[in-house]
Amino acid sequence: MLQATHPFQLVAGLLVWAIWFVVLYAGLSVGCAVAPPAAEQGDLNWLNGGLGAISLATTLLLVLAAWRCWQAAAVPSVDRQGAFFARLGAAIHGVSALATAAIAIPVVAYPPCV
Amino acid sequence: MTDSQGHDGGAQHRRLDAVWANWPGWRTLAAVNHTSIGLRFMLTGVFFFLVGGVLAMLARTQLALPAQDILSADVYNQVFTMHGTVMMFLFAIPVLEGLALYMIPKMIGARDLVFPRISSLGYYCYLFGGLIILSSLFVGQAPDSGWFMYTPLSSAEHAPGMGSDFWLLGITFVEISAMAAGIELTVSILRSRAPGMTLRHMPIFCWYILAMALMIVFGFPPLILASVLLELERAAGMPFFEVAAGGDPILWQHLFWLFGHPEVYIIFLPAAAVVSTLIPVFAQRPIVGYRWLVLAIIVTGFISFGLWVHHMFTIGIPKLAQAFFSVASMLVAVPTAIQLFAWLATLWTGRVIRSLPMLWIFGFLVIFVCGGLTGVMLALVPFNWQVHDTHFVVAHLHYVVVGGMLFPLIAGFYYWLPHFSGRMSTPVLGALGFWLTFIGFNATFLLMHLTGLLGMPRRVYTYEAGLGWDWLNLLSSVGGFVMAAGIALVLLDIALHFRFGRPAGRNPWNADTLEWATNTPPAPYNFASLPALDTRHPLWRQPELLQSIPAGEHGLTDIRHGRRETYGTEAVSGRLREVIHLPGNSWLPLLGALMLAVVCVSLLVRIYPMALLGVVGAAVFLLRWGWENGAHPRAAPLTANEPDNPPLHSRTCDGPGLWGMWVTLMANGTLYLSLLFGWFYLWTAAPQWTTPETLSVDRVAMVAAGLVLTGAVVAYGRLVRALCKGRATFLAGGLLLVTTLGCLHLAVVLWALLGAGLTPTEHAHDAMLLVMFLYLLFHAGLATVLSLLQALRVRLGYVGVRLPYEPVVLRPLWLYTLAVYWLSVALFLFLPAAWGAGG
Amino acid sequence: MFAHRRLWSAVAWLTRPRVAVLAGLAHVCLLTGCAGEYSTLDPAGPSALAVSWLWWGMLLAFGLVWFAVIGLWLLAVRRDPGDVSDAQAQRLQNRWIIGGGLVLPGVSIAVLLAFGIPVGHGMLPLSADEDVLRIEVTGYQWYWQVEYPDAGVSLEDELHIPAGEPVHIHLRSNDVIRSFWVPRLAGKLDAIPGHENVLKLQADQAGVYRGLCAEFCGLLHADMGFTVEAHEREDFEQWLSDAARDD
Ligand code: HEM
Ligand SMILES: [Cu+2]
Ligand SMILES: [Cu+2]
Repeated sequence: MLQATHPFQLVAGLLVWAIWFVVLYAGLSVGCAVAPPAAEQGDLNWLNGGLGAISLATTLLLVLAAWRCWQAAAVPSVDRQGAFFARLGAAIHGVSALATAAIAIPVVAYPPCV
Repeated sequence: MTDSQGHDGGAQHRRLDAVWANWPGWRTLAAVNHTSIGLRFMLTGVFFFLVGGVLAMLARTQLALPAQDILSADVYNQVFTMHGTVMMFLFAIPVLEGLALYMIPKMIGARDLVFPRISSLGYYCYLFGGLIILSSLFVGQAPDSGWFMYTPLSSAEHAPGMGSDFWLLGITFVEISAMAAGIELTVSILRSRAPGMTLRHMPIFCWYILAMALMIVFGFPPLILASVLLELERAAGMPFFEVAAGGDPILWQHLFWLFGHPEVYIIFLPAAAVVSTLIPVFAQRPIVGYRWLVLAIIVTGFISFGLWVHHMFTIGIPKLAQAFFSVASMLVAVPTAIQLFAWLATLWTGRVIRSLPMLWIFGFLVIFVCGGLTGVMLALVPFNWQVHDTHFVVAHLHYVVVGGMLFPLIAGFYYWLPHFSGRMSTPVLGALGFWLTFIGFNATFLLMHLTGLLGMPRRVYTYEAGLGWDWLNLLSSVGGFVMAAGIALVLLDIALHFRFGRPAGRNPWNADTLEWATNTPPAPYNFASLPALDTRHPLWRQPELLQSIPAGEHGLTDIRHGRRETYGTEAVSGRLREVIHLPGNSWLPLLGALMLAVVCVSLLVRIYPMALLGVVGAAVFLLRWGWENGAHPRAAPLTANEPDNPPLHSRTCDGPGLWGMWVTLMANGTLYLSLLFGWFYLWTAAPQWTTPETLSVDRVAMVAAGLVLTGAVVAYGRLVRALCKGRATFLAGGLLLVTTLGCLHLAVVLWALLGAGLTPTEHAHDAMLLVMFLYLLFHAGLATVLSLLQALRVRLGYVGVRLPYEPVVLRPLWLYTLAVYWLSVALFLFLPAAWGAGG
Repeated sequence: MFAHRRLWSAVAWLTRPRVAVLAGLAHVCLLTGCAGEYSTLDPAGPSALAVSWLWWGMLLAFGLVWFAVIGLWLLAVRRDPGDVSDAQAQRLQNRWIIGGGLVLPGVSIAVLLAFGIPVGHGMLPLSADEDVLRIEVTGYQWYWQVEYPDAGVSLEDELHIPAGEPVHIHLRSNDVIRSFWVPRLAGKLDAIPGHENVLKLQADQAGVYRGLCAEFCGLLHADMGFTVEAHEREDFEQWLSDAARDD
């Protein structure tokens, strides 16, 4: 299932994205409920930092996965069906990485809990 | 409905027809065939569209001039709520489901959907549910809290009448049909494509419908849960949304929009499927960027679940969270833009044939792109704070819904008219209808953006003069009537074409997809023989299919056994695996739906004994339905000369039923996750939530019950594994053992529940626990009953070494039951204590 | 290459006159049609002003996109492509889809956020302005109860604020959800049972501004209007002490 030519690659990246998104939103909500950083700290506080770090790690993971799929599609021995999934999987991992990075940008712009 | 083309296989067609035809006369109500059900869905949908349209005209009449009192505030509130509800739940979704149910088997080269009786059940749930909701207008008690039914406005205190109950119960009833369609379409697309049709060779239409179906599977459960919870609050006083008792009205908004936003894409995807199907045909070249489209479809399917909070930007959640959802909302513009430019590139590189369907597609483009752009604007939080809940949003939503759904739908209707009727429509009347609709629509809604910017809120029954809104509203009302005239012309055109349209002949648009290889109108079995395919454009690459299919030159032509059959193939590769035998006409779906209607109505009027009778009745019919499967004499009894290459699916350990079970459990799991979300949400966010100091549920008993359940599931798993290896020595006894363990488990859980002394009407905490308990009891109970029936079927010879299928299908249910049991025990009973029972 | 040039000239042809029309429309609107007691396009406070500029900017930019897409479509439908080889189609596809499907929305979103995030930030009631006037507004079916806790003043459907400085409106609801909105001053914010939300409101000049309820709240939702009267600072102090005495 984790092979780069497996059809699971069509949803793997977005599944990672979805889990990250839940962690992001839930983390923010729970963080603000448990130990809200003061608004004066702006965006420099443990919560934004943590969310940002998770997002960065997720983005990197997705980029890596995209690259792996892209490589697999270029292997000459792979059949057309497998190449189709790998190529598409690469694009979807890439889009997921972009979505992760883009959605996380406000972490550097806003204080978390107001 | 029979073949009119007069091919030489006339006798063969008659034999197929005898097996596949609906019963004549009124007994056609027992039909399960996807062509009939699809058409019924679409016709009923059009009926509800007209109802919704009349309501819209009433609203527009009231708003035409300031300070009018044609409708009272009370009536206006019912009118706009019903308009929105009818349009979204009873028109948009069902009509598109109908189109998908009608088209999918024909496009993938199958004879029917894999669960025909479920199609029929879905249709009747839709019909009865729709009629129940509609009847509220006639008893003057229509829902009046808006189509998203925000609590506390819709709660027992502020909406004491039956209106909210009509909505909650009726919509949940209708939802059954959506879930049915979602599950059935998913499995049919994955498991019954023509041999050789790999995923990569599917017509793009099928990718869209697959995504839509899966989105239904994951998108509807939150709404179903929310409706159940709100109805429990209204009818039984369980305070999920009541602040004072530890609930929170915001929970409703989360659950509703968790469904509500994906729903927009559930509507848009099939419409985009129509666009993506028509454009290549009228450009007479393959779609440009097939892979890009698949990418866009998948990305849309996921991202659209991460946007729901953009409907809640004004409720005061942290700005940072709003920003996440804001960016995510803007990002869905990306897959939409990809599709748009793929369509443009296709037109650019093709020689485009002008036609009525293309005219509607052009209308789609103009309107939908505008709606998409205002959507991106609305995703910008500060702008949203200004225009949210104004007529700007009303304009936006109609640009999206009418542009993104109604126009492509009508394009599709015109395109497939020859398929439905065998005739072409007339160009003149159709064009006139288009232009009136198009102009009327824009007259109604374009300047309505300005009305909103000038500050007119939505959902007001009247407004004072002199605020700059007067002429805009008058224009909108006039436009609305022009549009209504346009729609009337379209309907007239379609009605007349049945009489005056010229005969279409075969494949009149020179299309590439397989649905045009059926007769027009199609025979109930679609194809006299089932071809193998390895191209996305069968009718362009192999035009001879138009002759060879009806001539019976391909597979699965033997009909002497009298069974309805189609091919079952592997999900990814499309390799032939089995012959799926399908049920024929049956009254059970209708009877089951009738019983559910009884339940729905009795809950509505609060006659609970009758509701209980209805539940029992429905259970009887549904279990009987399950009984007539496999080797039952009414299905596919064992015979001496069984086909074995490929075998019948009920003789194997994998088949559409197993897939259907898994997909159902995915939906069910989403329901459970929604419940978990509610639990954690209330725990962390409800202003007055309290966790009791000491939990009254006996946790030792619960763990013991869990161990018993684990034993049952392990035993069941062993039985199934042995069965698939060809050993069935201890099968009936084993199943009885599992049943016994199941009963024991149920007894202990029930005992723990009764001993806990919960006060579900006073605390949201206890109410949540009670729902969790009922959920667990229902699942363990269901699995136990079904296992008992399996034991019986072993005795009767319907299940055994040669017939291992049914126990295999049942196994995921046991696994699921076990998983949710332990999860619930951990997260509802142990976690709060471990956390320190905080407040 | 040639196709490219033709394409762009077509786009330019389609958009040029329309831009003028659009600008003209905006002008006319600004002079006449945009005025209105509830008009967000006739802003009288910093929040509403910033948002109105967002609107005009987006209207212009997205208007262009809209006309460009429709223009392309019309052109695509009309033109005769000649023979397009598969390789050509492939190249065109990638160029269009990457350009129109990824770059165009990507750039639009980036620009939008670059403008939108600071505007949104400016509208927040940050606690740094701790010494601002606090007004408590509670929704009832169907009126707004207005309290000045420090002065002990209580009113119905009527607010008084000092002009030229922000005030914080603390929003609550007694029964159902509703939304507090003064379109010419600032965005709306919901009043929700069990929750308290804080809205920053500022009127630049003295005057009377009208507000309404934006979230549907039942039978008389349409009649939940109120007024916000902004006074010069001294007049406001005067009003407040008068009102406190009358109470
Ligand atoms: C025939 C053209 C139509 C007209 C003239 C029309 C008119 C209206 C009006 C006047 C409202 C009430 C606005 C308000 O007071 O907030 C409304 C709301 C709505 N319309 Fe339509 N409509 C039309 C078609 C449609 C279609 C085709 C759909 C969906 C498929 C649709 C979905 C909705 C929804 C969801 C609402 C919101 C209802 C609510 O606020 O609870 N409409 N429409
Ligand atoms: Cu949405
Ligand atoms: Cu209101």
